[in-house]
Amino acid sequence: MRVMKLLMLAFAGLVASTAASFAQGTVSDLPRRETLILENPEGTIKNPGWFNIWAINAGGQYTGLHQLAMDTLWYIDPERGLDGSWQNSLAAEKPIYNADFTEMTVKLRPGIYWSDGVQFTADDLVYTVETQIKTPGMRWSALLALNVDSVRKVDDWTVVFKLKKPNSRFHALFTVRFNAIWMMPKHVFERAPDPLRFDFNKPVSLGAYTLYGYDPDGKWFVWQRRDDWQRTTLGRYGEPGPKYVAYVDPGPPDKRVIAQLNHDLDVIHDIAPEGMFTLAKQSKSLKTWFKGFPYGHPDPTLPAVVFNLQNPTFQNRDLRWALALLIDIRAVAMASYRGAATISAIAIPPTGTHPDDYHKPLQDWLAGFELDTGKEKIKPYDPTMGQQIAAMLRPSMGDQIPTDPAEIARSFGYGWWKPNPTAAAELLERAGYSKRGNAWTGPDGKPLSIKIMVEGDSRPVMTRAGTMIAQQWRQFGIDAKIDVAQGTNMLDRRGAGDFDTFIGWSVETYGGHPDLAFFLDSWHSQFVAPPGKTQSPRNWQRLSSPELDKLIEQIRTVSFEDPKTVELGRDYAKFMVREMPIIPLMAYNVFTAMDETYWTGYPTADDPYTDPVPNWGNSRLMMVRLKPTQP
Amino acid sequence: MKPFLAYLAKRLLQFAVVVFIGVNITYVITHSTPIDPVEQSVTAATSFGVTSPEAIEMMRASLRQLYGLEGSPVEQYLSFWRRVLVGDFGPSLSAFPTPVSTLIWRAMPWTVGLLLVSTLMTWIIGNLIGGLAGYHRRNRLLKLVGIVSMGIHPIPYYIVAFVLLIVFGFVWPVLPISGGAGMSADRGDTFGFALDVLVHSILPSLSLMAVGIGGWFMGMRALVSNIVTEDYVTYAELGGVGRRRILGSYVMRNALGPQVTGLALQLGAIFNGAIITEQVFGYPGLGSLLISGVNSGDYSLVLGITSVSIIAVSAAVLVIDLLFPLVDPRVEVR
Repeated sequence: MRVMKLLMLAFAGLVASTAASFAQGTVSDLPRRETLILENPEGTIKNPGWFNIWAINAGGQYTGLHQLAMDTLWYIDPERGLDGSWQNSLAAEKPIYNADFTEMTVKLRPGIYWSDGVQFTADDLVYTVETQIKTPGMRWSALLALNVDSVRKVDDWTVVFKLKKPNSRFHALFTVRFNAIWMMPKHVFERAPDPLRFDFNKPVSLGAYTLYGYDPDGKWFVWQRRDDWQRTTLGRYGEPGPKYVAYVDPGPPDKRVIAQLNHDLDVIHDIAPEGMFTLAKQSKSLKTWFKGFPYGHPDPTLPAVVFNLQNPTFQNRDLRWALALLIDIRAVAMASYRGAATISAIAIPPTGTHPDDYHKPLQDWLAGFELDTGKEKIKPYDPTMGQQIAAMLRPSMGDQIPTDPAEIARSFGYGWWKPNPTAAAELLERAGYSKRGNAWTGPDGKPLSIKIMVEGDSRPVMTRAGTMIAQQWRQFGIDAKIDVAQGTNMLDRRGAGDFDTFIGWSVETYGGHPDLAFFLDSWHSQFVAPPGKTQSPRNWQRLSSPELDKLIEQIRTVSFEDPKTVELGRDYAKFMVREMPIIPLMAYNVFTAMDETYWTGYPTADDPYTDPVPNWGNSRLMMVRLKPTQP
Repeated sequence: MKPFLAYLAKRLLQFAVVVFIGVNITYVITHSTPIDPVEQSVTAATSFGVTSPEAIEMMRASLRQLYGLEGSPVEQYLSFWRRVLVGDFGPSLSAFPTPVSTLIWRAMPWTVGLLLVSTLMTWIIGNLIGGLAGYHRRNRLLKLVGIVSMGIHPIPYYIVAFVLLIVFGFVWPVLPISGGAGMSADRGDTFGFALDVLVHSILPSLSLMAVGIGGWFMGMRALVSNIVTEDYVTYAELGGVGRRRILGSYVMRNALGPQVTGLALQLGAIFNGAIITEQVFGYPGLGSLLISGVNSGDYSLVLGITSVSIIAVSAAVLVIDLLFPLVDPRVEVR
């Protein structure tokens, strides 16, 4: 018993001493009515005191740091923006190129100040570029070193870049889609001995907010509206509503739902469809991108069945098309997103301004598109697939499902390929496959076997899509299996080309701008790695096509503002339909759930002034439109 | 004294060998992982943004050099041991250039605070009730407590944790469900902050205790049930020795041996962190840090945490071996 008593005493002492050891750093009580609380999908930050965003992967980024404290020359909103999708932010006007795209001139916006009162000038831009070029290992060092021959300040508000080779999209490095090269405060960094090992704590902000406090254990970061918010680029849109903005790690999905039902979390970044359905049922103050089903915001990202085109099996176009015709997209939409998906037959995400630029204008072409199976010519496109998904959901979801065809197309997408096992069999036969019993075998007599790599629990929605597709292929007699590669393993195998197919994306676009060079330029065959070597983003399918190369080279020669980019983009979409190097499925719908208990004015499909997904750099626009619900 | 010194030297040597083998195995496992930390950093840097395949090749080369991943495997191995011997696990590869030791020391107070307290509480309560239940075998209240604790014991931990979360976080939202302290907690106010930490630790520690008490209870009850039938206990009872004294000095003290060994091993293992607890309750600590290191391919961090754990468990076993004679007088060094 003496041992027991001693242990009890030790325990009491321990409680006191442990609690005391945490006592460091301070954030006083925050007034809830003036505080917007958002989820940071990065979770807990291992290194919370690190704010040097120019060092790779060293600290948190979506902690509010890149949304509220950083700024750069231009933004392209994935949606419509407050005054248009294109925003001149620190730049006063659009980039000015010379005729052969070897020089870019930037005119800067005067009257913008860092949070410590120092004015932002051309010196900061020149410093940002030169420092990264001479410090390999910084986030944008390589990109700048490859492109910039010299950068010169003409005056405090004008900078001229001389490029090493023509690049009509050089400005994209300084244009936020999700992020971009953020400006460095010269007056702060030039005092640091090594810019790579400088923590930048406390960060000097160029945005409308400045750091108020953070959790030494990395669970939350709080930002406070600057008194001189007018002297930031957001200032031209008006005063930001929330005085304090907190980015927090609310934990696993179930806890996010509980936290929002308890009104402790204003914006959930993303949850599983089931979580969203629970919120829709139980929360009276819920706001979502679409007023009803399918709720989520379609990101400008395109989940697809991505083939490994260096694998001989998938080099046959007939096989790829046969596999596409064996997919019933309605079942995939139901399995993955429980129907809350926005489908796309073309390899461009059906979101932002893309439906107007690409999906709608290509409907006639798609309807007339003919596929020769060797025995017959079929028109595989069914323009009513989106409507069919809506009709399937109507009995259970009732009024939440729109009836207006235009609204259905916006929410659920236009058409997709009609399942056609007969045509698929004909295509496979033409490709040299034959059916023995219930199994398809290849020209070499071996069974046609396909593995679909998915990310398991790390990305359940995509895993469900892959499982459904594998099931549909198996029913047809193909030995299709799911190949689970979680998180980092998936990234490594994707890069190494160690897969047959995977459910993921190689297409990411601006959303709010029709220029496809953002992802398409990296699809040029000059960048395709040989088998066994690591493939650089984003051409994971390792597609190498002279026809596509020609298109990419044409895009490189025209300005991103040239209407020809849309024409070339449509040519790309047609090429992708003909060749089917990936099977596009749907937009990556993000179930961002917003709570109106404390704040109103969130972006929605009816008021699409920005993307509500809170880790996007553009989400800063929300701050100027949010107003307190309670006085 | 000589035999004791010889015994001590032998045990210290064993300790060093165990640590050396354990850390080496961990080194081999972490370095055999197919996950490449450079690729993780490249992915993190290029996700969502503009990418140029040529630039990525340059970035890869720079990071490889920066992270010290160049050189032959033997050179890397020797450099690792040189650093470990001075307590340096190198920089974290997923929070470069912050040292791994900084990250571990930041997370450790949370894990130690939560797990040490809940492990000791679980041990004390489980053994106390188990001992009483073994001695007072007809007591109905103790029987009921036994049924409840043994009933909860086999339920998978995450179910118990989740039920507690729903009950106290949503149905009757009286306790915080996430984090180690509230966002508005003033860390300058030591007492207020300590209270906040305590409130935040109630659910995670309750979940650990609810599942853990049953095991100790059953063990102690079985041990005591055997000991009470021993001749010396019967003799003490016949000799008129007080029941409390019999229970404390004759029965429980003799039953404590295996329980103390078990406790020591559990205390050593707390440096692994309570991975599921920390994940479910969003509690900061070594478990969360370990998972984050695994997910980001940061083998410096994984190696650091695992090495600390190996050293802690081995040290706990060593200490208990040395102290055991104090607990159980029947044990002596020859």
